[in-house]
Amino acid sequence: MTAVTSPVAEPLQPAAERAQRAPSWAITVAWVLTGICTALGLVGLVWRFVGGHAAANYGSYVPWGLWIAAYVALVGASAGAFAVGALIFTQRRREYYPIAILSMLVALGTFAAGMTNVWLDLGHPFRAYKLMLDTEFGSVMGLMAWLYTAYAIILVVGLVATRHGNVPKFLERFAWVAFLFAIVFAGAEGALFGVVGARPLWESGITPVLFLVEAALFGLALVVAAAAVFGMLTKDVARRFGLALLALLGVLLALEWAEFSTGMSASVPAKEDALRTILTGDYWWVFWILHLGLGVVLPAALLLWGRSKVAWVGIAGALIAMMGIASKLNLVLPALAQEEIEGLEDAFHGSGLTTSYTPSAMEWLVWFGTLGLVGLIVLIGRHFMKGAHGTPKQPDVQPDDELTASEADPSLQEANS
Amino acid sequence: MAGVTQRENLLVRMQTEVQEALERPDRRWGMVIDTRKCVGCHSCTISCVVENKLPPGVVYRPVIDQEVGTYPNVTRKFLPRPCMQCDEPPCVPVCPVGATFSRPDGIVEIDYDQCIGCRYCLTACPYSARTFDVGHTYTEDTPEQQQYELLPNYEYGQVHRRDPDNDESPIGNARKCHFCLHRLEQGMLPMCVTTCIGVANYFGDLNDPSSLVSEMASKPNAVVLKEELGTKPKVTYLV
Repeated sequence: MTAVTSPVAEPLQPAAERAQRAPSWAITVAWVLTGICTALGLVGLVWRFVGGHAAANYGSYVPWGLWIAAYVALVGASAGAFAVGALIFTQRRREYYPIAILSMLVALGTFAAGMTNVWLDLGHPFRAYKLMLDTEFGSVMGLMAWLYTAYAIILVVGLVATRHGNVPKFLERFAWVAFLFAIVFAGAEGALFGVVGARPLWESGITPVLFLVEAALFGLALVVAAAAVFGMLTKDVARRFGLALLALLGVLLALEWAEFSTGMSASVPAKEDALRTILTGDYWWVFWILHLGLGVVLPAALLLWGRSKVAWVGIAGALIAMMGIASKLNLVLPALAQEEIEGLEDAFHGSGLTTSYTPSAMEWLVWFGTLGLVGLIVLIGRHFMKGAHGTPKQPDVQPDDELTASEADPSLQEANS
Repeated sequence: MAGVTQRENLLVRMQTEVQEALERPDRRWGMVIDTRKCVGCHSCTISCVVENKLPPGVVYRPVIDQEVGTYPNVTRKFLPRPCMQCDEPPCVPVCPVGATFSRPDGIVEIDYDQCIGCRYCLTACPYSARTFDVGHTYTEDTPEQQQYELLPNYEYGQVHRRDPDNDESPIGNARKCHFCLHRLEQGMLPMCVTTCIGVANYFGDLNDPSSLVSEMASKPNAVVLKEELGTKPKVTYLV
């Protein structure tokens, strides 16, 4: 029998092809917002390097501020978005491949923005290379430097491999490794805080788990929002992703409840004070309005009552993703805003010797700039990523995957017999 | 000795012990602070600022003023807080580049040229003993930058000139008390010990059982801060 090769069966219609066309106004709005954020960021960047850290409001008693909160939120979202893409490849759901490729692009954008935040936060940014050359692997941060590098390599390889719209076989085969890596990566990010015994709010076994759930939630939310902007969501996909978002919101709430209820009853004053700061302190609205109201309740309502409406799911995703920063601010700042020895704040006065912190104008500008960077990478990157346009080519066909004509057509089998 | 006060006697004894300890490789520097003798004059804080040429926002040894009791039964107590130079320092293992480490003599050192300024150590220290040098100077908003602010300090026996325009170390670094290591290595007591008006500070080699500091550290009323954390501070308080 002459083996007549035939292409594999027609892949399912890509989700994006069935989706409505991207509303041009949504992409225009995305470009405008990206442009504004980038312009603000450039001003902030100049200010950061001219004014140094003196132009920032973090200091000695609150050594980490907006940038570190943004860094953990963005890198977490990156790991989450990456995990979404890897999961799609693992399951070989070809109809979702355009969204998987978009996920990787979102992962790259958020990762680059997160790294920019933390790089600018360093006292000596140009000594960052020491993280690689003189790594202390006993330090979670040292370990993370290598994990970041490995992650960046995997991400870039994935994007380069899919840049023409093909999804090579190796990517499908090894996607589960990437998925597991994303989980380890997001959990290790939580360990960065979880190991700091001096801060009772951070030192908790729940912290890395919370980071994992938040990473998945914020990453998926961002992917959903981006897919909605680019018109890549169908009603069916929106419903599925909406349900996943709802489930993750539920898990997040359960974990937060566990953290708050045990922390408030554990008779550890420092932890209780930190939690009380979150709930009733000067920035109570960050928790109640930004995090719970706009980041949980409103998106949950949108997802519950409009889960088959693409726009509603997209807006819910955008809200969850944007409020990720509120969640991380509530992790980073209240833990640092507690005096470690009572009366320390009044013992000696000077810049940065205070437990009060409000980001400075320079910090806000840089933060906006990093958001602009996410937008730039996703918007510009999408032009070069054919696969993220909803028209991915068929996966590479390997010889062992090729079907003979008889396998493809049962009538030929009958004829041969 | 005629004309020599008890204060001078104590200081001379401690300084002699420091000089003798320098001959011993197994020395382990420690400090005992008698809170009953501290009057809250802050001379230790100020002398430390002067000795190490500390800029605004950087402090190695604040004196915490605490009020105890409820009115009218109220007393004040003062708690000087240098770096505890812990035997199990939480600031060391978190440093991603090994810029901070425990020396054989027990002092926790920061390598200014290695530090990348991530401030992880600041978050890890349970005593808030580390501060971040953002690069301020006292005369930055005045018509003329005063030259004395640019003078070098000699922390850890190295010369670090302050140059706010270039953000070179120690600007951008974590900074902390180092028991005036540069003075110790010259056989001198830390500045805070020398300038304390009530001799509330005892300093010396904790590995020398005959030293004044060892004698004081073994008193039954000696306590350390946050003992439950297991950091094993080498600064002890008499209460």
